[in-house]
Order: sequence, then C-alpha cells, then structure tokens
Amino acid sequence: MKTDDLIAALAADTLPQPKVASQLLRALPVATGLSLLALAVFWGVRPDLLVALSSYAVLKTLVPLALAALAGALALAQVHPATPQKARGAVLLVMIALTVTVLIATLMRDGQGALVAALSTPSALVCLLSIPVLATPVLAATLWALSSGAPMRPRLTGAVAGLVAGGFAASIYSLYCDKDMVLFVIPAYSTAIAAVVLAGAVIGPRLLRW
Amino acid sequence: MSVNDLEGLEDLMRAANRGDMAAYHRVLSAITPLLRKVVRARGMALGREGCEDVLQDVLLAIHRKRHTWNEDQPLQPWLYAIARHKVVDAFRARGTRVEVSIDDFAEGLPAASGPDPTEGRDMEKVLSKLDPREADLVRAFGLNGETTAETAARLNMSEGAVRVALHRALKSVARLRERMIE
Repeated sequence: MKTDDLIAALAADTLPQPKVASQLLRALPVATGLSLLALAVFWGVRPDLLVALSSYAVLKTLVPLALAALAGALALAQVHPATPQKARGAVLLVMIALTVTVLIATLMRDGQGALVAALSTPSALVCLLSIPVLATPVLAATLWALSSGAPMRPRLTGAVAGLVAGGFAASIYSLYCDKDMVLFVIPAYSTAIAAVVLAGAVIGPRLLRW
Repeated sequence: MSVNDLEGLEDLMRAANRGDMAAYHRVLSAITPLLRKVVRARGMALGREGCEDVLQDVLLAIHRKRHTWNEDQPLQPWLYAIARHKVVDAFRARGTRVEVSIDDFAEGLPAASGPDPTEGRDMEKVLSKLDPREADLVRAFGLNGETTAETAARLNMSEGAVRVALHRALKSVARLRERMIE
C-alpha cells in the first residue's frame, strides 16, 4: 500500500478518541467500588469507624488517598508525550518526604523498641497481604486506562500506576484496620504500597506497550 | 521540506480533532516527508520498502495516539516524541537497533537520494488478514479517492456506519502490524 493511500484512509477516520483522563475516570470508580465491596464483605469495617474518622486517625485514610490522586495526575502527564511532569513529580516527592519525616521524627521520640512493639502484631501481616489484594482491581483499571495513552517509559508509568492502586487500596483498607499508631501505619502501609508499586513496574512494560 | 513548514500545524490539528478531514490530511501530508527522511537516514539497512513500512507504522501510531496531544501545547515536541518512540520500536521489531534523537527531527538530516513516494509491503499482508469488507474500506479512500459519502453509497451503508467501520478496521490494522512483526 502506498503511504499516500494510507494517509487518505487515516484522514478519513475522524472519530474522536476518548481522552485518557476520561478512561481513567470511567475505570477507577468501578475498580474502587469493587475493592470497597470486597472489604465490606470479607473484612468488614471497624466498629468504631465514625469515631476514628473524626480523630487524627482519619489521616490514615486521607493521606493514601492524596498519594493516589497525585500519582494519578503524574501518570496522566506521563502518557501525554511532551507534557511537563516535573511539577507533578515534585509534589508527589514532597508528599512522600513528609511521610518519611513524620516516621523518622516519631522513631526518634519513641525509640526502636516502640517500632518493634508496634509491628509485632498479626495485624502487620494482615495489612501486608490485604492492601495488595485490594489494589489488584485498581491496578488493572489504572493500567487499562493508561494503555490508551502513549507511555514513553512504561516501567516508570507502571510503577506510578502501582502507587495509584496502592494508595487507593491503603485508603480502603484503613476503614477496616484498627491500628492507628504512627509506628504501625506508616511502615506497614508503605511496605504494602511499595509491593504494589513493584508489581506495577514489573507488568507495566508488558501492558503499556504501543 | 524544512522545519518551518511544520510550524502553525496546531490550528490544523485542532481542526482535525474536531473532525475536519481535509485539515487532518494536510497535517499528515506535511509531516510525512520529514518523518520519511529521518527513517531513511537511520534505517538504510532495511531498504527503501522496509523504511516505508516503518514510516507507515509511525503514521499509524500518530493516528492512534492523536488524543494524547494536549491542544494547548505546541505540536512538534509531541510529534517528535511519538515518532522517535515508534521509529526505535519499529526498527527493533525488525531486528535493527537504531538511535534516534529529537535533534534528528528538529535539525533535519542529509536528504536521502532516490525517488520519493514509495510503497510499503507490510500493509498488504495485514489487509489480507482483515475481513475483506474492512480491507476494502481502508483501501477505498486512498486507492479510489472516495469520500465517506461515496463509500457509504457504494457499500449501501450509512456514513456513520462507514466511519465506525473504518475506525475499527484501522484499529485492527494497528494491532495486526504489531503482532506481525514481533
């Protein structure tokens, strides 16, 4: 086929393509709804949910949610070639740095013994397993939506998609989890989210090829 | 073709995104000589037809990813990023490793000699795997110079149905080409 003939065919195909952002906004509610439903059915919400949500423990729900939103904004920029992404990446890094700072400050105040005590509970294992499970539908939805874009660095975008999924899953899991200590929440949730990030980085190159 | 010819394509591309066929045709025609030059300069090992196949892959990628251009950004950086990604990818799929830099597009490369518009081979292979009606649709616009209305009348379809069918056919073409060269 002549290239000019191909151009004529391409030019005739003027059906608008859905934007990546609208694909993401379509897929995410379905996926998070699925995870929320799974949590309600198989985990159940903590009995004192309303009390917890009106205390500082609400941060356990809100911070991962903010992380997911920032990661989503960064991922969207990444699949639109030649779109500036430094500002979005910087905000995300600041957010992560703040979390690490809070962890270090608490560690310095309470000592390593407190960290070991906080994590020496079966809840830690439950958390490490639950968040990745709850993240699975969200990761699938995010990668599906992003694959309609043009990722220039599929592994990195896969990792950021993992952060989106891990953030949403951690936020959802926090509705069940009744451990509110900083020395439990930050290390356990971060490790679980990191596992999802890793999963995203591994499958990203396969699913985000174009 | 100099780089300056590619300036001011944003308005045409915006019109293309609103469904203006003629504007879109002008955009694709305007960028093709530059893309062909970069592909030929980098991929001599593939021969002229092989290069034209890579060029067609790049055009298909630009078409399939056109919604990832932000309308308030300049078109060229986006175009070069897509083209560079696809050129490298298309050569790799054919067993040739090439280095392409953004400067190749921006500064231009020494002109390749020889006759200009050529034919690719891959497309015929792909079209033969499509449903004959779909393949006919893809060919109709270039080969027969048909408009959507004429194609619709010939195939006894509505214009809307022709558009949807062509859209699906080009989607299958892109998918098949990726599978074929792997």
